[in-house]
Amino acid sequence: MTNASSVLPEVALQGGRELPLRVLSVLGRSTRHALERIGELARFTVRTVEAVRDVRTWGPSATLQMRLLGVDSMPIGAFIALFTGIVLSLLASYSFTGAVPLYFVGTLVEKTITLELAPVLTGLALAGRVGANIAAELGTMRVTEQIDALETLGYDPHAYLVVPRVLAGMLMFPVVVGAAMLAGVASGWVASVGLLDLSSGDFVKGLRLFFSGFDVRYGLVKASSFGFIVTLIGSVRGLRASGGAQGVGRAATDAVVYSAVMILMLDAFWAITWLLGSQR
Amino acid sequence: MKRSNDFLVGMVVLAVILTLTGATLWVKQTDIGERRSKVVARFRDVGNARVGNAVVIRGVRAGTIEAIELARGGWVHVRMNLDRSMQLPGTPVVLLNESSLFGEWQATITQRSALPHDETVQAQIAESTGGDDVLPGATLPDIAKLTAVAGQIAGDVANVAGRVEVAFDERAARELRSSIRNFSDLSTTLSQTVRDHAGDLDTLSRGLQSAVSSLNRTALSASQLAARVDSSSTSGEIKQIVDDMSHAAAELRRGSAQIRMMSEQLSRTQNRLDSFLTNGDSVLVKLNTGQGSLGLLLNDPSLYRNSDSLLTQLRGLVTEVRTNPKKFVSVRIF
Repeated sequence: MTNASSVLPEVALQGGRELPLRVLSVLGRSTRHALERIGELARFTVRTVEAVRDVRTWGPSATLQMRLLGVDSMPIGAFIALFTGIVLSLLASYSFTGAVPLYFVGTLVEKTITLELAPVLTGLALAGRVGANIAAELGTMRVTEQIDALETLGYDPHAYLVVPRVLAGMLMFPVVVGAAMLAGVASGWVASVGLLDLSSGDFVKGLRLFFSGFDVRYGLVKASSFGFIVTLIGSVRGLRASGGAQGVGRAATDAVVYSAVMILMLDAFWAITWLLGSQR
Repeated sequence: MKRSNDFLVGMVVLAVILTLTGATLWVKQTDIGERRSKVVARFRDVGNARVGNAVVIRGVRAGTIEAIELARGGWVHVRMNLDRSMQLPGTPVVLLNESSLFGEWQATITQRSALPHDETVQAQIAESTGGDDVLPGATLPDIAKLTAVAGQIAGDVANVAGRVEVAFDERAARELRSSIRNFSDLSTTLSQTVRDHAGDLDTLSRGLQSAVSSLNRTALSASQLAARVDSSSTSGEIKQIVDDMSHAAAELRRGSAQIRMMSEQLSRTQNRLDSFLTNGDSVLVKLNTGQGSLGLLLNDPSLYRNSDSLLTQLRGLVTEVRTNPKKFVSVRIF
């Protein structure tokens, strides 16, 4: 027989032990989920890379995906870059007033557009357009069991659905970003000449001042990596979709969010590993 | 549909690649087809010059720096491509310098005779002269170095100003005012002396005038005497005339002696005046150059301070003698 006074402290002790245990459990579960997702993405990537060998399966639909992901996205990329270039030139002249020669507007527009804004802004825009599109399309196929049907027919879903999209993303993102670079610099040029007290020769002088081929290479490689990650995440979320239309919507949302986060992380990764390394 | 996709994608990719490549080459001013001439210059150090920086001839952009590479013997070779139409100046040399305050550098090709008169630059050019098909080059200091030197100069000036401030304090100003006052007194004394000597000159002049008047009077007497001789030659007063003549000759001798004496006195006075002016000039020169006691007094505050201190001590001594004479003068009868 136990009395109340001896039981109460034991309960309090158990309650005091529960909180840290619960915190540790949540932490462990989150870590496990994160690792599972990373592992899932890694396995997915490996399967996709392996499926690249099956050219007969993905080859016929590759150009279609390139047109859908790349050519059709060019207006968005150009539109974003167009206004970015204009705003950049005006911001630069606003910042430089009286202290820095105005021809540095050309330098700033070129460096900012090619190194950062054209790849990242275009990447984020395409993450919304392309990533959501792929996740929704593949998710719908998954929930309507079309992918099961493909597997039943002997098609590898990775080779048939994922590889053409990922390759199209890797190849066409740089094309879209390249066009965005041209549009951004050109609009910055036109805005500088039209809206600022800056001659065309001065803008070109600033443009050439610190221009390096590395700027363009860096932006294009970054864009290709963005294309890879956006299409890959869209495909992963789409193929893992479940739960009907709601699951498809969730997959599309997740694809956009994860793609945007990964774009920013990749941007930092390239800056640290390549941009910083090129200065040393 | 598929063919149209292929065509569309191919066309877009090709167009973007071509445009991007063309734009890059245009911005980089790449020399396609070797249409430009090459010039190489060597330097010991190229500062912050970079590939792509402008090459300028007589202020006109004539090309770009194509490559910067280390060479044997501790040299750095800078290869530049220039427009074919550009003519190099005679005896060309290359200067690397900043073209603005914002880190831009440029290579300036100029004549050797147009180099800046700077020993370092001349030495760099002389050292780098003699390479085969390589122009001599020199690097001008960048803004950071110039700023550092300017900062050092400003520090030195501040240091000197501080020392002057320490040396020229309130006391020094008082001493300077006192010195100026003393100099004013001295110049008053000099002026008084000159005025006194001017009075002597006036006196001398008046004496000379008196002597000349006496001479005139003597001449008049001589003329009257001659008239009398003429009139008395027939009245038997010759003896009287001879006496008068004798008297007149004596007067003349005395007058002549007086004039000689006055002339000598005038000459002595002139010599004294010359000597005085020479001495005065010497004194002023010494004053100006800080020689002598007075000059040192004017230019060296320490001497003035010493003199002032001596006077103070003398005043103290006199006061003490007055108040306590027994301390210094002892009169003993026995």
